[in-house]
Order: sequence, then C-alpha cells, then structure tokens
Amino acid sequence: MKKHFKFYKLILASLALSFLFGIPSYASEPFESYSYNYWKLAVRQPYPYLYDKTFDEKDFETKLSFPDDMFYFSDSIFVADTGNSRVLKLDLNGKVLMEIDSAKNKSDKLNEPRGVYVTDEGNIYVADSKNARVVEYTKDGDFVREIGRPDTTLIADNVEYKPMKVVVDKDGRIYVIAYGINMGLVEFDRDGNFQGFMGAAEVNVNKFYYIWKNFLSTKEQQERMQTIVPTEYSNIFVDKENFVYATINGLTGDEINAEKDCIRRLNPTGTDVLRRLGPPIVGDLRFSQDGWSSFKDAAATDYGCYFVLDDANGKVFAYDYDGNSLFIFGRSGIKEGNTQKPVSLVINSDASKIYVLDGVLGNIVSYKITDYGKLVLNAIYLNDTGDSEGSNACWQEVLKRNSNCEMAYIGLGKTFLSEGDYKKAMEYFKLGNNRKYYSKAFYYYRKEVMEENFGKIMAVIIAVVLGLLAVKGYARIKKWVGEVKCTTLKH
Amino acid sequence: MHYFETLKYVFHVIFHPFDGFWDLKHEKKGSVPAALTFVVLTIITLAIEKQDTAFLFNKNKLSELNVLVDIITVALVFILWCVANWCTTSLMDGKGKMVEIVTAIGYAVFPIPLIRLPLVFLSHLVTMDEGAFIKVFGIVSLIWAGMLVFFATSVIHEYSIKKTVVTVLITILGMGILMFIGLLFFNVIEQMINFVLTIYKEIRFR
Repeated sequence: MKKHFKFYKLILASLALSFLFGIPSYASEPFESYSYNYWKLAVRQPYPYLYDKTFDEKDFETKLSFPDDMFYFSDSIFVADTGNSRVLKLDLNGKVLMEIDSAKNKSDKLNEPRGVYVTDEGNIYVADSKNARVVEYTKDGDFVREIGRPDTTLIADNVEYKPMKVVVDKDGRIYVIAYGINMGLVEFDRDGNFQGFMGAAEVNVNKFYYIWKNFLSTKEQQERMQTIVPTEYSNIFVDKENFVYATINGLTGDEINAEKDCIRRLNPTGTDVLRRLGPPIVGDLRFSQDGWSSFKDAAATDYGCYFVLDDANGKVFAYDYDGNSLFIFGRSGIKEGNTQKPVSLVINSDASKIYVLDGVLGNIVSYKITDYGKLVLNAIYLNDTGDSEGSNACWQEVLKRNSNCEMAYIGLGKTFLSEGDYKKAMEYFKLGNNRKYYSKAFYYYRKEVMEENFGKIMAVIIAVVLGLLAVKGYARIKKWVGEVKCTTLKH
Repeated sequence: MHYFETLKYVFHVIFHPFDGFWDLKHEKKGSVPAALTFVVLTIITLAIEKQDTAFLFNKNKLSELNVLVDIITVALVFILWCVANWCTTSLMDGKGKMVEIVTAIGYAVFPIPLIRLPLVFLSHLVTMDEGAFIKVFGIVSLIWAGMLVFFATSVIHEYSIKKTVVTVLITILGMGILMFIGLLFFNVIEQMINFVLTIYKEIRFR
C-alpha cells in the first residue's frame, strides 16, 4: 500500500514538473506533407518545411492592400503593394526599410504596381500596371527610367497595355507579362526597345470541341462559347542560367488531364526546356477538395530545384531538375500558418526559408526548412556540383528518415553505378523505380557476368551444338546403315 | 487419335491455318483436351508474363497483382467468345458445332504461349535499348493469334471472308451483351437475396 502511494506521488510530481517546464510537445502542423511517387500516388513524408511565422501589419507597421508580387534580394523582401499603389522594401523581421510610391517626380505616382523585380546590382524594376509602364529605380529608390508601351503594331491600338509582372535576365533583357496579351512574354532589350514576344503558350484545341464549335453549333451557341485563346502566364522567375520559369494559372481539370503545361522553363529563344521525367508537373494529380492545382508563382534554386505556388489550395510544390516531385506542403485555410489567397512565393538564397504572400490578408507567411528538407536539397545540390560522396552521405541520412524516398534510392544507385557496384546499383534503381538507370546498370552487370563466365557459357554452347550434331549424325548413319542393309538384302 | 498426337498437330494448324482447321473439323485430327491444354497454357503465360517479366519491361504494380483476376479474365474472354460465337453462327447458318468452335479457338490461341513464354525468359537478358523486339514479338503473337481465330471462324462455319468479318463483329457485340445480361442477373439475384435477408431479419428482431 505504501509503495502504491509513493508511485502515485511520483506521478503527481512529474505531472507538476511537466506543467512547470512544459512537455516538449510537437504542435501539429496546419498542413500535410507528401510527395508523388512513381505510381502517381501521394505518399506521406516527413515535413520538409515547418510553419515559421506570419508577418502582418504589426510587423510592417502599415497595412498591405491586395499585394500582388514579391521579390527576395539579399536579405530583404520587396513587395508590390498593389492596392496602396506603392512598393515596399522589408527586412527579414518585416520592418519597412523603404517605400517607393512615385516615379519621375513626387507628383508622378505609381498606379497599382503588380510586379517587382530586383537585378543583381540592386536596381528595382516595377510593373506599374495602370500607368502602362515599367519603371526602373536605383537600389536607393531613385528614379532611373521608365519603359512604356511597346512601339509595335503587333498589339492592336484598342488593346490596353497593362504590365503585370516583370523580370530582367542577367544580360539585361526585360521580360514583361502584360494583361490580355496572349502572344507570350513581351521582351525588351537592355535599352528598353521592344524586341518581340517570347514563349507564346501554344493553343491545343480539343478536336471534338473544335468541330462542335465551328461546324455543328448554332450562331447563338457560338456566341456564348469561349473563344479559344492561348493561356497567359501568371508569373515569371529568372534562374541562374538565364532561363525563365513561367507559370500558367487557372487550367481546368480537362486541360490538366490533357497534359497541358502548367509551368514552363523557357530558354532565351522561348522554347520550353523543362524536364518532365517524373509524374506530370501539374500540382496535385487528383482532384482535391478545392479543385485542381493552379500555379501562380515559381522560384528556383541555383541547382535546378524549383518551388511552385498553387493558389487554389495554398500548397507549395517542389520539384527537382528532372521534374520529380520532391515536397508538397502548405494549405489554404483559416488556421495560423495557412494562407487564404496566396499570390507570390519567394525563397531565400539557400532555400532555407520560403515566404508566401497572401493577397487577401496582406500577410507574408514564412516556412522554415527542417533537417529532412535540408538533407534532400543538400543531396541534390552536392550531386549537381559533382560531389557524389557527399550526396551519397546525405541520401543515406534521408533514407533513415524516409524509407519511401525514391529520389534517395536513385541517388544512391547512381553512386553505386559510378563506383562500379552494378548489382547494388540495380537493386537501388529497382527500389527507386527508375528503369532508365536500371538498364544502364544492368548493361554493365551483364557484361561483367559474361566476362567472368565466358568460358562456361562457351563450353555450354559448344556442348549443345556438338550434341545436336551428334544426334543428327547418328540418325544419318542409322539411315545409311539401313539403306546398306536393304541393298544387301535385295541382292 | 492419341492425345499427344493431337497436341503435336497444333504446329501444322498455326502454319497452315486453312488446311489445319479443315482437318480439325473433318479429319478429327484435334481434340478438345488438347485445345483446353492450349487455353490453359495461354492463361498461365499471360499470368506469368505479368509477374515475371523483368523489371525493365514490367510496368505492373506487383504489390497489387491478383493472379485469380488475371486467370478469370482470360478464361472469361475465351468462354464468352465461344458462347457468343456459337449463338451468332447458329443464327447465321454456321456449320460449326460448339465442340468444333472450342477446339478451333483453343488451337488458334497457341501462338500466344509459343512466343510470349520465351519472351518472358528473354526479357531478363536484355537492356532497355535492346528490348524493342520484345514488344514487337509480343504484338506479332497477338496478331497471329487474332488472324488464326479469324480463319478458324471462317473455316469451321464455312463462311466467306466478308461474312466472317460480320460474324466476328457481331460476336464481339454479343460478348458485350452477354456480359451485360450477366451483370444484370447478378445484380437482381443480389437484390433478391438482400430482400429475403431483410425480411428474415425483420421477423427475427420482432
């Protein structure tokens, strides 16, 4: 009895202690974490990023009104505060460092700027949508120049020119997404002269729809139908290699199932060079509660991994250079750490933090990388730089945390392949469901086996051939003997 | 004729279809047990192919494979074809009897195990680039078997080519109808059983 009492006391004491110091409990994240595997199934995985915090008006000390774009440049965040017609520069605590609201002079106000971009030199480009111009500032916010409506007949005079997003590549070419212009990105040279359009989204029309629309439907029906036009891009991002990631927004389920592009990686001539070796890059592969994914913005690391923002479900999709699904996390909702209408996504220089701008609430939600996420990205980074040993070590660690990670198996398989351990490489490629590399490993493995057992194999082949010859010869001799016997009998 | 002899006769049939099927029907050179052997061989081949083709050429999700389903699917297609073909041809002045249809179809599907079984073995020895021929031969086996089925129908029922085409199309349609009726039948039976069960439960719980 006494012993029992003591035990009881111990529990009480420990409870009291735990209340005092707090049990290290893991708050459940306001979203799920998964990725798509080879079979196009969503597989849960450890969190690559965790909700960090939300920057709101308390941090900004001012209110954002329907902000539309964000850019990350050397530890500061630029926000196009569209509703308030200004561009803000924030530090990483959300404090406003600089505010730009006018162009040439004080009276020349910005009017609903929707895009912001900062070059490597720190020059700020703003897509001033209602004023039909792109404005350049120095890093201190002094006006440099403005690039107005492109001087061309390719855009009809009655069409409004409304720049939405702007980026500048390393060679100084300026790309602009303009509202209502579906011929692609508007391209200017470094001096602001119109160069042409780039990377027009192709139109691929459903054949049945085309026939139905043009031949079978009545005039009244035709008038109520949508005109078939190419989709416009929703946002653009320039990566280290001067390639432009362009996202396409608001595709229907039919279009996604027909494998229409949701994101492109355009080379400087405007050709899509995005590698699509994994499952389709369309966000969620199945219709989810809030509808199909709709890509709004993208950001890429220097080693080819890219993060895409889905504004329908508030999710962030991460893909590697080959288009394999790395991470999926985030969610739209009303919990802390959710977003309501995410519009823009930026990552910091080492992708350890992701910032998502909420267009309705005027918040910036930040996500912090976990050990798991760091390991995966690091493994890919090291592999990209050619350090296969370091990459190998990272993948080993990744597998300890997530044995479902096909990427890790493929990564390790590649290492074994280059080390010459073909059998092991085959095993790992099989686990990672990668037939291309499995075939490669198998080729060398087969060669190895053949070389080792060449003598035996040849011996077997010769034995078989000789055996067949012997059987045939025996039959012939028997026949000949029979014939001889017949002839002798006749005589 | 001896069972083994009838088995061996398949090699004549698949290379000389018109002559072969004629002999099956009139000279009784084939047998039903032999035909069923070939059907079972085909079923086994298709099941083995699904599971044991090398990883490089096997895009099936092995963890979700069900041999029973594979077996039943192929067997069902065979039975449905024979029944539907018999039904249509007896309405279209076909000369063939059920036994002859079963025998002929059994002999006609033989190219499938003949070609595909070695392919399963071969697939373990070749890389992806060299593997194109596996696909080609797989398709060849299907086309060969399909043509044999076509000729079999033509010879057994003593049809012209045009009439055979029509018969084949109607047979396929008939298979669909049979499936539909079967499903309907099962549905109704299930509902009836449910109905009786419900009444039984109601009475018991009272």
